[in-house]
Amino acid sequence: MGVIVKKVELSWLDRTYVWPVMKGMSITFGHFIRNLFTTTPNRYTIQYPEMKKEIPEGYRGLHELKRFEDGAIKCVACFMCQEACPARCISIEAEEFSDLNITQGFEEKRPAKFSIDMLRCIYCGMCEEACPKDAIWLRNDYEVAAYDRLSMKYGKWDLMNTYAEADGKERLSQDPTPSVPRRTIVM
Amino acid sequence: MDKLASLLHMTPAIFWMVVKVVIVFSAIMLLASVWTWVERRGSAMIQDRIGPNRAAIFGKIRIIGLAQLLADGIKFFFKEDLVPEDANKGLFWLAPFLAFVPALIGFAVIPFGRSFESGGVTYYLSVLDPGNGMGLLYPMAIGGMAVYGVLLAAWSSNNKWSILGGMRASAAMVSYEIGMSLAVVTIFMTTGGYDPAEVIKTQGHLPWAWNIVRQPIGFIVFFTCMFAETNRLPFDFAEGESEIVAGFNTEYGSMKFSLLALAEYSHLMTASALVATLYFGGWQVPFVQNPTVMLSVASFLLKMLFFAWVFVWIRWTLPRFRYDQLMHLGWKVMLPLSMANLVFHAWRMSQGH
Amino acid sequence: MFITFALITLLGALGMLLQKNVIVAGLCMVATFFGVAGLFLLLANPVAAALQVIVYTGAIMVLVLFVIMMLNSHEEEKAQSTRPIQRWVSVVLLVLLAIGAVKLVMSSPGVKSLAASGAAMPQAMTLQKLGTALFADHLLGFEVAGLLLLAAMIGAVALTKRNL
Repeated sequence: MGVIVKKVELSWLDRTYVWPVMKGMSITFGHFIRNLFTTTPNRYTIQYPEMKKEIPEGYRGLHELKRFEDGAIKCVACFMCQEACPARCISIEAEEFSDLNITQGFEEKRPAKFSIDMLRCIYCGMCEEACPKDAIWLRNDYEVAAYDRLSMKYGKWDLMNTYAEADGKERLSQDPTPSVPRRTIVM
Repeated sequence: MDKLASLLHMTPAIFWMVVKVVIVFSAIMLLASVWTWVERRGSAMIQDRIGPNRAAIFGKIRIIGLAQLLADGIKFFFKEDLVPEDANKGLFWLAPFLAFVPALIGFAVIPFGRSFESGGVTYYLSVLDPGNGMGLLYPMAIGGMAVYGVLLAAWSSNNKWSILGGMRASAAMVSYEIGMSLAVVTIFMTTGGYDPAEVIKTQGHLPWAWNIVRQPIGFIVFFTCMFAETNRLPFDFAEGESEIVAGFNTEYGSMKFSLLALAEYSHLMTASALVATLYFGGWQVPFVQNPTVMLSVASFLLKMLFFAWVFVWIRWTLPRFRYDQLMHLGWKVMLPLSMANLVFHAWRMSQGH
Repeated sequence: MFITFALITLLGALGMLLQKNVIVAGLCMVATFFGVAGLFLLLANPVAAALQVIVYTGAIMVLVLFVIMMLNSHEEEKAQSTRPIQRWVSVVLLVLLAIGAVKLVMSSPGVKSLAASGAAMPQAMTLQKLGTALFADHLLGFEVAGLLLLAAMIGAVALTKRNL
């Protein structure tokens, strides 16, 4: 079924075309003058490297693998995020982690390798939803860029150290041995 | 050897001529390239953006984005000069020059300042002295030539969209030339002469005696037709991103493209100078009977640049016309309007005004 | 100067005849028109030069090129095999035409006065003089030409636009 579009009847003033043009020009000139006397930082445009947009709460950016205060990884390699990932960009290799012979003695599972292919990731946040341990979350940072494909494959240490300094944490390059069995720690 | 010696002892007249040619044409080229910057910054401000402000000389001197001009120039110079395989090579090379030269030399008859006397010789501030017999017919003839640049650029690149753009543009230019000519003829009639110097002199220094007040309809027609002639936005039928890619310059790159762009802006400068001369008293300074030479040049420049800015301003205000609307406007509105204007002024003159 | 413009005119005309490419031939014709405009300038008639450029190169040639592009004939038409008799007839006609033209020019009063008084330059033509000549001296001819053009225009409209 077609819809009958009513033709707009223009007044004679509009049909001369000169007056509407003048009106339009006054609008654009108003914008021009307003912008001419506004300093650059006060305009709508955000001058990117110098100015940055305020990121809203709950923005899904670069991933981070969380850790405890002593630096040990929270992840228990349960593969939930890997299963939940619609883009299949997470790949985990688990390992048994036991240091019975060192300290109090406990056995745990932890990721030996944990890598996210940032080129495939769609930043949907499903991994964050799926994680039972709150070990992975998506930060507010969005500047993910590199010169080659390989460096877009973030490994375990990369993920643990994303913006570590910005959050006032130490950078880690090896797994610190946890001093207490994790089971006992209240999350 | 004699000839060389005589060249060295150039007569003041020839020397003056050379100086004028160099100054005028380099000024127009400079203004045209600056106007690409004005266009970009102006459009940005109209649209609440910022525009190019990053390019900097030695990474420091930004001069509100003017360094962008240099960057663009350098970029165009060092880009690869591509010629499409099936293009007509010779015409492909020729077209940018055919577009650029008419746009530039149309300025030659326009007086950009008051004439002055020195040592018993009168010096005229226009490249061709008044009384050359061509008068304002010259810029119109040269303006008609500008079609060839567009047409050839379109045809020689052997591209369907280019041809469409070129044909649309040439049709528009030819049909608007008629309305424009009739508007100019009205001015010839009321002036009683067709030399730009005469046109300026009869307008006098009082703003209400200028042709804009006497012939507002003629001004509207002429100005509108100038948009079609220069291929500027409400009527830029040579281009059209949405339907014919980039139009006549789709296949052009590097310095040839830059020449085509510069041609557009020099044409814009010449057109605005013509508008200022014909309807706004040329170099006349409002309310000043006998302005000094510098003042008159400044006044002319101010008027010209204002109209060049109006060209930019209108471009970012009005959307592009449809082709049938353009033809309708050109033949059924502009032509009768300028005709009526002509008849009205003829009647007024016959009544002894 | 005369030699330059005459050369431009002649070379343009030759190029137009010899070029296979229609567009290039059209451009050669534009060059010819320019040469003729230059010759008008040398004859102290800048008005005719300007009108030549405005009307012929600015309007008529553009329309011709426009039509050529619209038809978009990239491939050249095959020349039909000519009969030798046609060639001879055309040569004879050309010679007759040339003789007639030369005779017409040589017997015109302008050339005779030029030969008689030597270097008396004709007065420069201006638009005012042209207007006076058209609207006062040759008013009847002007009006008839106007009427003819009007009739032609109406005829063209009537032919092309059937459903008025």
